[in-house]
Amino acid sequence: MIGLIVVLALLILAVISVVGIYNALVQLRNQVKNAWSQIDVQLKRRHDLIPNLVETAKGYMKHERETFETITQARSQAMGAQSVGDKAKSESALSGALNKFLLTVENYPDLKANQNFLSVQEELKSTENKIAFARQAYNDQVLFLNNKIQMFPSNLIANSFNFKQEEFFELEDEAQREVPEVKF
Amino acid sequence: MDCPVCSNEPMIVLEYNNIEIDFCQSCQGIWLDQGELELLLGSAGDSDKITKMLKEKVTVHEKPRRCPICLKKMRKIELGDQRPVMIDQCRQKHGLWFDRGELKDILEQLQSQNDDAVLKFLRDIFTNST
Amino acid sequence: MWEVIKANQRKSWVLFSLMGTVLILLGFVIGASVSPEGGLIGLIIALAIWIIMSFVSYFSGDSIMLRMSGAQLVNHNVHPQLFNIVEEMKIASGMKHMPKVYIIPQEAPNAFATGIHQDQCAVAVTAGLLSRLNRDELQGVIAHEMSHIMNRDVLFMSFAGTLLGSIAIISQVFLRGTYYSSFSSRRYRSSSRNNQGDGVMLIIALAVAILAPVLTQLLYFAISRKREYLADASAVRLTRYPQGLASALEKISSSKLDLTTATKITAPLYIANPLKQKGKKLSDLTSTHPPISERVKILRGMQQGVNLNDYQVSFNKVKGQPELLIPATALKDKDPLSLRQGSSKKKGPISPTQQAREIGDLIRRVNDFLFISCACGLTIKLPANYNRSQVQCPRCQKKYHVQKE
Repeated sequence: MIGLIVVLALLILAVISVVGIYNALVQLRNQVKNAWSQIDVQLKRRHDLIPNLVETAKGYMKHERETFETITQARSQAMGAQSVGDKAKSESALSGALNKFLLTVENYPDLKANQNFLSVQEELKSTENKIAFARQAYNDQVLFLNNKIQMFPSNLIANSFNFKQEEFFELEDEAQREVPEVKF
Repeated sequence: MDCPVCSNEPMIVLEYNNIEIDFCQSCQGIWLDQGELELLLGSAGDSDKITKMLKEKVTVHEKPRRCPICLKKMRKIELGDQRPVMIDQCRQKHGLWFDRGELKDILEQLQSQNDDAVLKFLRDIFTNST
Repeated sequence: MWEVIKANQRKSWVLFSLMGTVLILLGFVIGASVSPEGGLIGLIIALAIWIIMSFVSYFSGDSIMLRMSGAQLVNHNVHPQLFNIVEEMKIASGMKHMPKVYIIPQEAPNAFATGIHQDQCAVAVTAGLLSRLNRDELQGVIAHEMSHIMNRDVLFMSFAGTLLGSIAIISQVFLRGTYYSSFSSRRYRSSSRNNQGDGVMLIIALAVAILAPVLTQLLYFAISRKREYLADASAVRLTRYPQGLASALEKISSSKLDLTTATKITAPLYIANPLKQKGKKLSDLTSTHPPISERVKILRGMQQGVNLNDYQVSFNKVKGQPELLIPATALKDKDPLSLRQGSSKKKGPISPTQQAREIGDLIRRVNDFLFISCACGLTIKLPANYNRSQVQCPRCQKKYHVQKE
């Protein structure tokens, strides 16, 4: 009789902990999704800003057709990317192109004084920052989730309910932030 | 800020070459905030010159005007050597009021070679408008 | 990050209970000094005063603070950069709601945050601050303010503030009351009723009434200072750029201007003490803010990384003796977070005229002026009560339509 009660108690305990771990995993997965949508919003915003930027700058920078083409191309590539890894790669390329463009702008004092351009530039800069901060939040959440999926005992539940590890969103940050050399 | 002469007429602010004036579109009077006249004339040496040239007028025929900032009655003062111009000054030092063209007259008298841009700006305003 | 909040809450409760005990004690001894059975009544009255004050501050604290400072609500158009930075910090901190953004039309550089409830929090900065700081510096200041909101400092400080206020009021009333009644009543009361027990109680009550406000004030100040350091640490963790906040603090402290709308009560909520103590140097104990030079030194000392542990390490180095600033559980936050490069250009000292123009323009924008840049180089600024449908440039005669929303 006592044995039966003990077994029953253990069984209930096991069920409760399985449910608890399962719920925690679901919550984490949702947080990852939520954080990703934050990044997505900002990436979209950046794509929307670029035509505006190009349009404003074009009149002033007649001899920089190549630069504009690179940006436009990088933009359409980034817009087409699907997986997290693909997106990271193409968005990095786009960031690179934009940074190069902003360096070129330094040679055009008229453009730099243009009120319209300044406001687009501020929006772009802020969007870049927002992407960086949102990426930060996303990667934190992914780390939590992946740790849970790998560690005992939550790995058992994660495996049986088919929880998958998520990809980090890595931009080649350091390389990109370094100011490219400008030669004359 | 409403014009001290025309009632209920909001003054507009004009900025040009780092000079800022409040301008009434109907009477074309100009309000200068405290310190703006000195800025207009450029150097610090000039501001001494101005204060020396300010003379309070006791007997006046012109109606007293009210400062657009504190709404208190301003005093009449005279400015300039050869052809003195009567302007209004807030007793609380909020600023100066110039009737139509007065500021231009004063600057023409005072004008040291340097700030022609200012004068040109004022001439533009008063010659174009009728 | 969240560990800091939890630990803060725990510590807050300890402090609350401590201050609350002082309040209860004060009420009790005052009651007991009036009549032997009055202790309980005194205690209840004291608590009632505090509860009423708390209710008032809980439901209207934000709006009172904002109104007292003269802050005006602005939208994205008035100052896009400020708005963007607040949004950036919202994303970085994972806050659910976007704080409201206010500008205080004043020249002295300063900033504060309010928000007892996270869903209706607000940050306010002065026009003078905006004209002096570059983007990175402004980001540091906003991160500091948002950290106050996230760490629940606003909630805590306003409750502790009302506790402090209640104690001060009760003590004042009692001390004045005894002072005046000592002239009148003693003469008419028979000496037999004034037995020795009452006399002793009265002396105790007087002592408590004198000491209680001082004691609670010191407690309040100590916590307030700690929270400034904590907000700095959290801010750096958000922006990853300690230099930005450091140089912003330097610029704020180099200004000699007082914020005319700040009072002793609202002072602890600002990023830097808005009331410069002219002439006298206040001792560290009675200051709501740690010395800015020290905060700057700690921030500049963060060469290795920007997590909370790095701040603690730099703090210990500057202070000389280790003092646990950040709760031990949060110090587990050892993920290496690398510093970011500064990205905005230096904003050096600009001429006073130009600064006055910038501040003036900002204040006009806050007050809904319409700005028209004429092709001839003239800028026309129309006040909100401008009532004509078009305006003519007085210089080149070009006409512009005035569109109002």
